[in-house]
Amino acid sequence: MKFYYFHLMPYPLEHGEPSSWVTLSNRHYDPAVGHVLYNQYLDQLEYAETLGWDGLCVNEHHQNCYGTMPSPNVMAAMLVRRTRRARIAILGNGLPLRENPLRVAEEIAMLDVASGGRVISGFVRGIGPEYYSTAVNPTHSRERFYEAAELILRAWTEPGPFPFDGRFYRYPFVNPWPRPLQRPHPPVWCPSQGSAETVEWAARRRFPYLMVFTPIKRIAQIYGEYREACERSGYTASRYQLTVNLPIVVAESDAKADAIARRNALWVYHVGLRMPLQFWQPPGYTTEASLRRLLAAGLKLPTELSFEDLEAGGYIICGSPGTVRDKLRVFADELRAGVVCSGFPAGTHEATLEMMQLFAEEVMPHFREDADVDETAGVGR
Amino acid sequence: MTRARELTVRGVPVRLLSGGAGPALLFLHGAGGAGRWLPFQDHLARRFAVEFPSHPGHGGSPAAEWIEHISDLAFHYLDLLDLLELERVHLVGASFGGWIAAEIAVMAAHRLTSLVLIDPVGIKVDGWIYPFLFAMDLPELVSTVFHDVTAALALVPGGEGPDTLLELARERAALARVAWNPYLYDPLLRRRLARVTTPTLLCWGEHDRVASLACARVWAAEIPGARLEIFGGSGHVPHLEEPAPVAAVVGDFCAACEGAR
Repeated sequence: MKFYYFHLMPYPLEHGEPSSWVTLSNRHYDPAVGHVLYNQYLDQLEYAETLGWDGLCVNEHHQNCYGTMPSPNVMAAMLVRRTRRARIAILGNGLPLRENPLRVAEEIAMLDVASGGRVISGFVRGIGPEYYSTAVNPTHSRERFYEAAELILRAWTEPGPFPFDGRFYRYPFVNPWPRPLQRPHPPVWCPSQGSAETVEWAARRRFPYLMVFTPIKRIAQIYGEYREACERSGYTASRYQLTVNLPIVVAESDAKADAIARRNALWVYHVGLRMPLQFWQPPGYTTEASLRRLLAAGLKLPTELSFEDLEAGGYIICGSPGTVRDKLRVFADELRAGVVCSGFPAGTHEATLEMMQLFAEEVMPHFREDADVDETAGVGR
Repeated sequence: MTRARELTVRGVPVRLLSGGAGPALLFLHGAGGAGRWLPFQDHLARRFAVEFPSHPGHGGSPAAEWIEHISDLAFHYLDLLDLLELERVHLVGASFGGWIAAEIAVMAAHRLTSLVLIDPVGIKVDGWIYPFLFAMDLPELVSTVFHDVTAALALVPGGEGPDTLLELARERAALARVAWNPYLYDPLLRRRLARVTTPTLLCWGEHDRVASLACARVWAAEIPGARLEIFGGSGHVPHLEEPAPVAAVVGDFCAACEGAR
């Protein structure tokens, strides 16, 4: 199994406002605190490479305290020059949020060339509140996503210049310099929460599917649908196309891990992801078919999940090294996930570094049967 | 008595409520008002043959993914007039429906005997930004739209199951398709209002927090000869908050225009 270190770069604020997104006033953001946090977070990502993680992940969110990376490419750029081996996974750029998605093609190509071909390029739609923050029409979200993705893939693979004339994006000359180093283009991943349309779209293109913060039962179901969609497209999914993002809390004992997780992992769900329903679901963001599926599944909002729900549901993994190994075995052997992207919410910077070291020494080595395999060979393009 | 019909207008299914007798009057509803024949329509139906269609994607109509711009809805209603063989009508639009009505009036004033706009949105007014209703939960929405919040009871959905929720989601999406950004207006409409040669009545709730009285005065200045009536007990939806007095003023205005033809 491959391990990627996933950072949200939260601004861990406790507050009583109804939303941590869109309307949470930025007067709560102290740039002096932010300076310390950004540098600690980047230190953690760099340390992850030292400890043996295979990849480092950044992502894009806007106007919130949950994740303070409005431009993931900026963070990726800093990591590229401070690391040598690890893959840099940008999970991902919010394509429909861009007025000029050709800029994504350019920036990813820059990073790929500078890093010697270590970049993984996630394509996402952005979550609901992002449509309030950027004012992009959410009813156009899906179509803009497909159109921007097609534009970027063509820009990376077809010799330019060529014209592109879409519904939302139009260019008389598509001809980005530089071209990406990886051939035919950097691996593309699709982080998603399981909409049927995205599963089908990703499977058809061999783009790995990343389940983000999802209960394990639903991961199993969506992985099944993805594998079936791959078969319909005439091939069998590699395990490295099935990836998962879940927070892991590991400590010397179950009791200690439990206490840390209650204090820190819970913040993500109860504060970081606190927002009203209308932000989660802007008009037209989800198709009626997927909305019907969501209603039938009866999924809870993050703030409605208790710690017990999160642990029992498999949203997070928490425990002593032995317990964490056992729980990860379910992901490795039953779900057959090939890549685990995880954050390690521990509270302080020092505690996080310790937790990372414990994981790297006591858990990771037990899942290294595939140490010699290149997880990006043949997938994502 | 009202009758409900399902029509097909250039391939688009339309739910149409009709009632009353007299000269034809087309009523265009606002968000959340689809398919609800309320006291306002009853009052008008005593003097006019009221045609009350649900906008595509609203009131249980199928999703209307062909709609890209507010003018698509204006053309859609010109097509409906053709289908109903109505040469000229009195056109009454409230809020979002008022925006559509104004778009129709700048395109085809010759099809209108009179134009009544009840707290319309649709134009950019300097110094005014429409509050972003899509971001509001229900209590905030109600207190923003209504001055008399008891009037909101008339718009309570019929059910609570998945089908009702999906219907509400479809309505929000249909509205967002044309109104998300620019929010609740068409940048080209305001300067075209000078083309409206139809006699025009503007009805406005004094306490409108969606489109303030400042908006009303801009509309009144832009549409040649428009008359402005203000209703002191209302917010954004006077036809729901004070149906009898609003219907009386609207009815008298339309009747006078009818007589002047």
